[in-house]
Amino acid sequence: MAGTIDWVLVKEIISCVFILTGVIFMLIASIGLLRFPDFYIRMSAITKGATLGLGLILLGMGVYFNQPGVMLKVLAIIGFTSITAPVAAHVIGRTAVQNRISFWPKTNLKEFEDYITKEHLEQPINHDKYTEDIKEDIRMEMGGGDDADNG
Amino acid sequence: MSILHVTLIISMIMLSICLLLNAIRFAIGPTLPDRITAFDLFVANIIGIIIIYTELTDNEDFIDVAMVLSLFGFLGSISFAYYIMKITK
Amino acid sequence: MKLLLIHIVVAGALIYAYFRQPGALIPYTALSTALLFLLLIIFLWVSSKFYNRSYYRKLPKLFYFLLYFLKELFVANLKIAYDIVTPHYRMQPTLLALPLNAKTDLEISLLANIISLTPGTLSIDISEDRSVLYVHTLYVKHGDVEQLKRSIKDGFERRILELTA
Repeated sequence: MAGTIDWVLVKEIISCVFILTGVIFMLIASIGLLRFPDFYIRMSAITKGATLGLGLILLGMGVYFNQPGVMLKVLAIIGFTSITAPVAAHVIGRTAVQNRISFWPKTNLKEFEDYITKEHLEQPINHDKYTEDIKEDIRMEMGGGDDADNG
Repeated sequence: MSILHVTLIISMIMLSICLLLNAIRFAIGPTLPDRITAFDLFVANIIGIIIIYTELTDNEDFIDVAMVLSLFGFLGSISFAYYIMKITK
Repeated sequence: MKLLLIHIVVAGALIYAYFRQPGALIPYTALSTALLFLLLIIFLWVSSKFYNRSYYRKLPKLFYFLLYFLKELFVANLKIAYDIVTPHYRMQPTLLALPLNAKTDLEISLLANIISLTPGTLSIDISEDRSVLYVHTLYVKHGDVEQLKRSIKDGFERRILELTA
């Protein structure tokens, strides 16, 4: 059988390459979610890496099945994710800015100061306030700094 | 055990590690938007796992599940974001 | 650009009708269907030269825009992946105030979505009078903010304005 190409094997290898690349992108995105120092950096770096990885995995599956119906569904999912991912990222980022989540200390905020003064977002607020306030209240009710009420 | 089979099992294991890392961020995340980001990545990872399971079992009916999940994950993260914006104002 | 949607629907219907009849010569696989679809779209595009000149000019620009966007997506993703797997951070996060030339709702939302979709940049908010877009970006070359703004305006905004004009 010299000179003939096993097309099924070629298809499988192309599918494998796509899927491995996509999975590696997703793994790197997950590591970055743990490593990066600041919410905004995580947000802007990570979600898109996951979108690209997902698209590559989906393309790998479409190549493997090689049917027009499956390929159409794959393209639909890629379209949905690539339309919805930036909208979700924008909404969550805007929520974070409105809630005064602090930036990384090295961030260059020179051009953003107009916006901050206009929206009155100068002082950062304490985001553990639910836990802290409730603890304070409980402590007040219990009468005095008892820290040994964990049970 | 063909090449495809080995690749799919390896990628399944790697995506499970991804889920574990996301769960750590979900637990320690200092702020609420951090947790929403982790949730977003959760949904993407689970879609990936469904896709790989589809290819592993050669059953193309699971693609519809992935399609529905890709829309509902978006709805989930958007509604969580609006909820946080309401309660902290 | 509405014509593109009509062409896609026409090409899909033709392909469906062709594969419904019993003795189709072409095998019913994803690759052959995609090639047939591309062939039909190109044929319809060439024929549109005679009745819609603006569509005839815009479709290649859309194609180049997609290619440019995919290239940017891959390059930015690789940059961030390199930054994740090596121990030291090379990034210098900056908040830009990007002055906009885009005026209508469609142009601004397209630009903001595409800026958000490339890794490393995130569009945060737009000012009240819709003239400035606030963008959170990670990598600034040599600390030169003006040059980065110019590259975004020349790269994405000019192409979007050309497409929607």
